[in-house]
Amino acid sequence: MFFHIVLERNMQLHPRYFGRNLRDHLVTKLMKDVEGTCSGRHGFVVAITGIESVGKGLIRDGTGFVTFPVKYQCIVFRPFKGEILEAVVTMVNKMGFFAEAGPVQMFVSNHLIPDDMEFQSGDVPNYTTSDGSVKIQKDSEVRLKIIGTRVDATEIFCIGTIKDDFLGVINDPATI
Amino acid sequence: MREDSSDAADDFGAILAAALESDSEEDIAVLDSKRVRMCKEEENAKTDESQSSASLGFSESNSDISKDKACSHHGEFMKGLCVVCGEMHPMPSSGVAFRYIHPDLMLANSEIDQRRARDTEKLLSQKKLYLILDLDHTLLNSTPLSLMTHEEYLKAREDSLQDVSKGSLFVLPHMHIATKLRPFVRTFLEEASAMFEMYIYTMGARPYALEMANLLDPDKKYFDARVISRDDGTQRHQKGLDVILGEESAVLVLDDTENAWTKHKDNLILMERYHYFSSSCRQFGFTCKSHSQLEHDESKPDGALATAISVLNQLHSTFFAVFEAEPSVADVRQVLKSLQKGILKGCRLVFSRVFPTKFPVESHPVWRMAEQLGATCSERMEQTVTHVVAMDAGTGKSRWAVKEKKFLVNPGWVEACYYGWKRQPEDRFHLACLLSGFYYEGIGTLSGAGPVGKSSCDGADPNVDVPASPLVR
Ligand SMILES: [Mg+2]
Ligand SMILES: [Zn+2]
Repeated sequence: MFFHIVLERNMQLHPRYFGRNLRDHLVTKLMKDVEGTCSGRHGFVVAITGIESVGKGLIRDGTGFVTFPVKYQCIVFRPFKGEILEAVVTMVNKMGFFAEAGPVQMFVSNHLIPDDMEFQSGDVPNYTTSDGSVKIQKDSEVRLKIIGTRVDATEIFCIGTIKDDFLGVINDPATI
Repeated sequence: MREDSSDAADDFGAILAAALESDSEEDIAVLDSKRVRMCKEEENAKTDESQSSASLGFSESNSDISKDKACSHHGEFMKGLCVVCGEMHPMPSSGVAFRYIHPDLMLANSEIDQRRARDTEKLLSQKKLYLILDLDHTLLNSTPLSLMTHEEYLKAREDSLQDVSKGSLFVLPHMHIATKLRPFVRTFLEEASAMFEMYIYTMGARPYALEMANLLDPDKKYFDARVISRDDGTQRHQKGLDVILGEESAVLVLDDTENAWTKHKDNLILMERYHYFSSSCRQFGFTCKSHSQLEHDESKPDGALATAISVLNQLHSTFFAVFEAEPSVADVRQVLKSLQKGILKGCRLVFSRVFPTKFPVESHPVWRMAEQLGATCSERMEQTVTHVVAMDAGTGKSRWAVKEKKFLVNPGWVEACYYGWKRQPEDRFHLACLLSGFYYEGIGTLSGAGPVGKSSCDGADPNVDVPASPLVR
């Protein structure tokens, strides 16, 4: 799920930036530091959309660095248990398949792939229905439901299922 | 900040504040223009600034992560999450990491047992068994390029890496090695794949294992993800069937190193070592010449892999004959054992000066080989004896053999029967083949280069035509 939220961060700036473009530098650094990172609490910071406020700078003893508390608006992406996501398959093996939705890695076990789909090994390993009409292989797009998440400092990993109504392949690269 | 400078600091603070106020409306424009540029920049190392969360933090939706409430019914974990219910668990204490399938995969023992039973049943229904294949000296021989100094001429004969399916001698500069595939290996894999689900299992590192798998199986027909390296095993310097998802009663192993399989000797078909490069012989302490030095490769139709495929054929058909009659008792280890036991069935061997004095004879490789082949071994001369295995025609036992018209053979005969999987003609192993001054060192550590029939008298002069056996030097 995407959220538009306000976050706060204490930014340290070197004295050489104290001039006409101070705010510029502060924003640049904030984007560099924050966008693309992941926090366990909020998920991935996709983009900063605006600066809410920049607090009063505090000069640090000794170094001359100044710390500014910055409040900023941003879009974050955080998958939840029970959420339905669309993802691209990245790897298929006999244990199941891996898929990714943006920065989020997901695994769907063969326990949670419909029973009528069998694993086929070979050059392009895949799961296929007995009549061959549905196939999951690398680059397939699938709709899956998240049943568990693990959020680490730098990544989010999810366990998913496609064993439910309206889940599974939404396009098949083999037929394009 | 020191007391006396606080005024100055306030003033400076005001200047900073003014600078910040001046262009706040342009933030968004700045953001957009910056983003384009920044995408290209490398992300700098993070400073120690902390991300203080000002507003709503999302509370864990699945915060029912309770370490004590484990889902007892599941046993497969990816990055610590149960793949069936999605809950986080502490790693099961009794489980095995299946790193070759995925670096983050862990299976609990109960799950492994279930999977083994299920996968084996499925495989048997397809009339297939499991086959674990070693790489070095079994399917191929590799050498570091730095040790190829005497074999520079080979580099001119290297095969193209563009279409590896056609070649057998490859130089892999990025790995700093050269690799020679054993003669017959492509036919071997093709034929074995019809009877077995095959794994590669090597003591080499993972990148090497994958590189070799690519040379042997460029079309990915045979091994899929079943490539196991030393990085994937559970025990140092040992190979184990614990990382194989098949019942031990349905697994055969082809390897040249018996000691790697201490727990699974009954599954092992011991292979004669393939030494193509001279560095490979030196590595094992042999002074004999390798196949490349002799410009004489192992025979394709009669080499070790051709022998292996015919043995595998027999084992496969015998196993399924038993399996179809009574599935519950079928065990490929038993089939292997009884096939081997039939090779020297009815032979009674007596040994003369084959073992060093005071050596515990029952643990000597030649004695063990002979017993595995079904021969009866003893040290006493009796009328029932059929063969005298000797090093020297002058011993009392040897003379007795000649007088009593018993077979008199050198120990190479036992080894040739063992690796050849059939009783070899005794007259090719008489003692004259052991030229004077040569001595015998024992087989277990020195299974060497050369075709089956070491110390045999095939060819006019075994020392010229055939790679000299380390058995006799
Ligand atoms: Mg080996
Ligand atoms: Zn579970």
